[in-house]
Amino acid sequence: MILVDDLFARPFLSILDAVRTLAVEELYDVERIRDDLKENRLLYELGERSEDRYRERKWELEMELDAAERAREQLRSKSIEVRG
Amino acid sequence: MGSALYAYGVLEQEDVEFETDGIDGAERAYTVDYRTLSALVSEIDTVEPGMSDENARAHSEVLKQLLRYDGGRTVVPMQYGMAFKNERTLKRVLRESRPAFRRALREVEGKVELGLKVLSEADATGDGDAVRAAVDERFGELAVGVSEDDRFSDRLLVNRSFLVDRDDRDAFDDAVGEFEDDHGELTVQYTGPWAPYHFVDIDIGARRA
Repeated sequence: MILVDDLFARPFLSILDAVRTLAVEELYDVERIRDDLKENRLLYELGERSEDRYRERKWELEMELDAAERAREQLRSKSIEVRG
Repeated sequence: MGSALYAYGVLEQEDVEFETDGIDGAERAYTVDYRTLSALVSEIDTVEPGMSDENARAHSEVLKQLLRYDGGRTVVPMQYGMAFKNERTLKRVLRESRPAFRRALREVEGKVELGLKVLSEADATGDGDAVRAAVDERFGELAVGVSEDDRFSDRLLVNRSFLVDRDDRDAFDDAVGEFEDDHGELTVQYTGPWAPYHFVDIDIGARRA
């Protein structure tokens, strides 16, 4: 019975795994965060963003980038858990 | 300062020395020679300088000083972070990469890099293709090289680096002014002259420690 359950469950688990992986990759999109860092810098250089706002946003994005890089590293090593 | 050497770039052999605001607070930049090449360096305390805004700016600014030095010098820039344990290790890298540096120096001799970014207004959608065509038309003949750089923002319609002869610099400046006049709805960021970062590609794989 346990064996039959496993066989039935496996395809669904695989799909769920893939969906969760995609969700994590979108949530922790390192390239998007790096682009946001560059845009933040450019808007500051152009005078469209104040120095305070630039520094605040830079700090936020750097924290986000750090978290994203760690999450993706954990994902690669399969040690991350995404709660559905 | 320490005994490690931070290298900003490489030029044809010449004794150069100037005061500067360099990497990790270094106050002096000077050249270390290997045969027909010189590397512009500052003394720092580590072979792994931190990647901060200040250091990134210092790296660029020191190279800009060299570009202006005594009427202007041609330089092949090092990528950020190239620090060496001592002169011996630096010279070993210059020796191993000498053919590539010499080739790169020939390619960028007498030229500088200029940057052009064109942005649409906030919350506006510009016609990127039309703007890029206008840039091609206006600047194409003034540059000897063009690099299409990453458009990292939805507002960024153009992000290009141009390799320009020093003699054509004034004409390029004028063309940028005319482009701005013709496209008042766009924001233009014109930067440089820079060392030709986008037009040399030297892979320094040697051990630096």
